[in-house]
Amino acid sequence: MTSMPSTEWIAGLVSFLLTVMVFSYLWKDNALFRLAVYLFVGVSAGYVGAVACRQVLLPRLILPLLEGDLLAAFPLLLGLALLGKLSRRTAALGNPSLALMVGVGTAVAIGGAVLGTLIPQVQATINNFELDPARSMAEQILDASTFLVGTVTTLVYFHYSARPGAQGPQRSKLVTLLGWVGQIFIAITFGVIFAGVYAAALTALIERLSSLRLFLGSLF
Amino acid sequence: MKLRGLLSTAFAIAFGVIVLLGYFLEFQPFYGLRVVFVEWAVILAGFAVLVGLGNLVAVHIKKIRAREKGSAYGLLLVFSLLMTFLAGLAWGPDHPNMVLLFRTVQFPVEASLMALLTVSLAYASVRMLRRRLNLFSIVFLGTVLIILLGTASLPLLGDVPFVGDWVRPFVSQVIAGAGARGILIGVALGTLTTGLRVLIGADRPYGGK
Repeated sequence: MTSMPSTEWIAGLVSFLLTVMVFSYLWKDNALFRLAVYLFVGVSAGYVGAVACRQVLLPRLILPLLEGDLLAAFPLLLGLALLGKLSRRTAALGNPSLALMVGVGTAVAIGGAVLGTLIPQVQATINNFELDPARSMAEQILDASTFLVGTVTTLVYFHYSARPGAQGPQRSKLVTLLGWVGQIFIAITFGVIFAGVYAAALTALIERLSSLRLFLGSLF
Repeated sequence: MKLRGLLSTAFAIAFGVIVLLGYFLEFQPFYGLRVVFVEWAVILAGFAVLVGLGNLVAVHIKKIRAREKGSAYGLLLVFSLLMTFLAGLAWGPDHPNMVLLFRTVQFPVEASLMALLTVSLAYASVRMLRRRLNLFSIVFLGTVLIILLGTASLPLLGDVPFVGDWVRPFVSQVIAGAGARGILIGVALGTLTTGLRVLIGADRPYGGK
């Protein structure tokens, strides 16, 4: 303890206390847990606000304006109008700014979906059938076929259109069967994701327990 | 539609279509405008963060004034938010003091909340087995067990033969890869249709209708 710099030691103590406060939730939802979480939300929100000002508004808006870039006046006006959203009476002033963000965001999302997901993923599914002579052919065909069946059936599961029938709208038998197979693929996919998250959570638990032990060890 | 609503819709469609054209057409003016408009949207997103913070502070100050239950937590939130925000403005987010604040408050709480997931996820799995026992839940939990068994060595037993070197890679890379690809393509198709509805003005999530 004596060899530890005081700032580091105080940081270690606060970190130790916050960890114990969060872990107290295992007993029940209590005041200590809430204190830690509210502090966390406050610090995180303040940090994000500071990042937005220092790394977005300052270099992209304020500095260009100070350098005489008149084009930057337009986003400044829209930004000030957006601040009108803080009051119910002036909230409508911010709608055009919000519309610009939504319009541009939508276009970026469409561009990303088509160029970054749809085309590459479909291409990758096709490319699986380009066999590599260095690997076993049966294994490659099994992998590629599983990929194709899994991708198609998973997509079919999300196909909700149905034909009118005697007992209300009904999906065709083929779509129902393929959707059922797709559901198995989805269950396995979510199982793998769940296992990944669980492994990450276990790692975090081990890291926190180790830090608690280290801090307690530094006291004695 | 009111004039202001019309202006918002015109903004969304005009800016959106130009940015979209900038993605797909190799035509310099569209590309240049795309870069400028995305830059403006980023600036507006910065303002939106400030609006969000202002709203968060206003909600908690209202609670504190009304002396509602739990307003002491709100006081702590507002105080820590303002202190961190001002410190971040003064020093910048990369300053050693801000890094220390991150290491002291944000990292331990975030990591501890993540660690709590081990308990809550295990509890949720048991609840799922008890309340919704069907083929899909069994497949889901079976996959979780296989992946976890294949990921780490067991005490005394070591690696589980066949599971670690064949079953786990096949399940996680091929079967789950296929499912994930189907989900990704589905999400992309959903994004495409929803986005196109916004760009033709059928959906107006910016306060039109």
